[in-house]
Amino acid sequence: MKTLLFIILISNILFASEKNTNIGEEIYNTTCISCHGIDGKSNTGMKLSVKPRILANSILSQKQIKMIVAKGAHEFGAYSDIMPNFSYIYKDAQIESVSKYVYNKFVAPRETKIKAMYDNSDIKNVTLKRGKKIFKRNCALCHGITGNGKSEYVEMSIQNKQFIYPYDLRKILLNKKQIFLFAKYGGLEWGTHENIMPSWKKKYNDSDLMSVAKYIDEVIKDKK
Amino acid sequence: MKKLITIGLLITTMYSAEHIIDQKNKHYVPNNITVAVGDTLVFKNSDSFAHNAYTDDEKNEFDFGMQAPGKDKRVEIKEKSDFVIECAIHPNMSLQVHVK
Repeated sequence: MKTLLFIILISNILFASEKNTNIGEEIYNTTCISCHGIDGKSNTGMKLSVKPRILANSILSQKQIKMIVAKGAHEFGAYSDIMPNFSYIYKDAQIESVSKYVYNKFVAPRETKIKAMYDNSDIKNVTLKRGKKIFKRNCALCHGITGNGKSEYVEMSIQNKQFIYPYDLRKILLNKKQIFLFAKYGGLEWGTHENIMPSWKKKYNDSDLMSVAKYIDEVIKDKK
Repeated sequence: MKKLITIGLLITTMYSAEHIIDQKNKHYVPNNITVAVGDTLVFKNSDSFAHNAYTDDEKNEFDFGMQAPGKDKRVEIKEKSDFVIECAIHPNMSLQVHVK
């Protein structure tokens, strides 16, 4: 009897999980695919003013993906709202399913590589003081001194039709490790289309970059 | 005395040189330069976006702030030193300066 119950329980979990993934896949293939493409590389031929994130290079966790799908990217610091709030269209369970599908298809296969990129870093002395100095010297020129994404450089880019829109760092979902990896390797590594957020690894060592990540995470980011 | 100072200034002006540094495709051109005290570095910006050249060298410290495309910025070399000029926005830009 115990064996039978165990088999039924396992079957339910397995089928529920499969069903969940299938719903997610179905939503991806009917909605997300139009911008992000079947392979998550956003090579769809759609002419958008802001190119969609290359999901195949994403660093986000399943929970972070769900929050962006549910509330839209603008809520979490993107200037544009081209990645909309899907909670008007889909129920929470559906958003959960598609987030799970996106994570499993695009991020999970790269988790080992991402972890190694972090683990192979040489982080020793991390201080807010150092992070603040680097933030003011470099990051603030684009992201603004408060991290709100507004700066003289952004204004100039608009005047020169370059249209650079740095993230509002107060609202970002990234944790300290993710911010560090973004600063070290630059936006291209993590799915942006242009090299506007550069890699700082030639200029600063890992301890410096983690100091900046600490400053952004602990001082700049809104406390929620 | 005034005449002496004027003559001194004139001599300095006559012998100091201007060196043109272009900022193009997120690189300094040239990226290595030998200059003399009193020389002037003239930074052009041929890119379609802004740059922000600076150095933390104690003897020749400066920070241009934002330099719009097409605009020039100038800085005079004050003291003998070897130092690096960088762009605060584009981390691959690096100009080695040797003051003889």
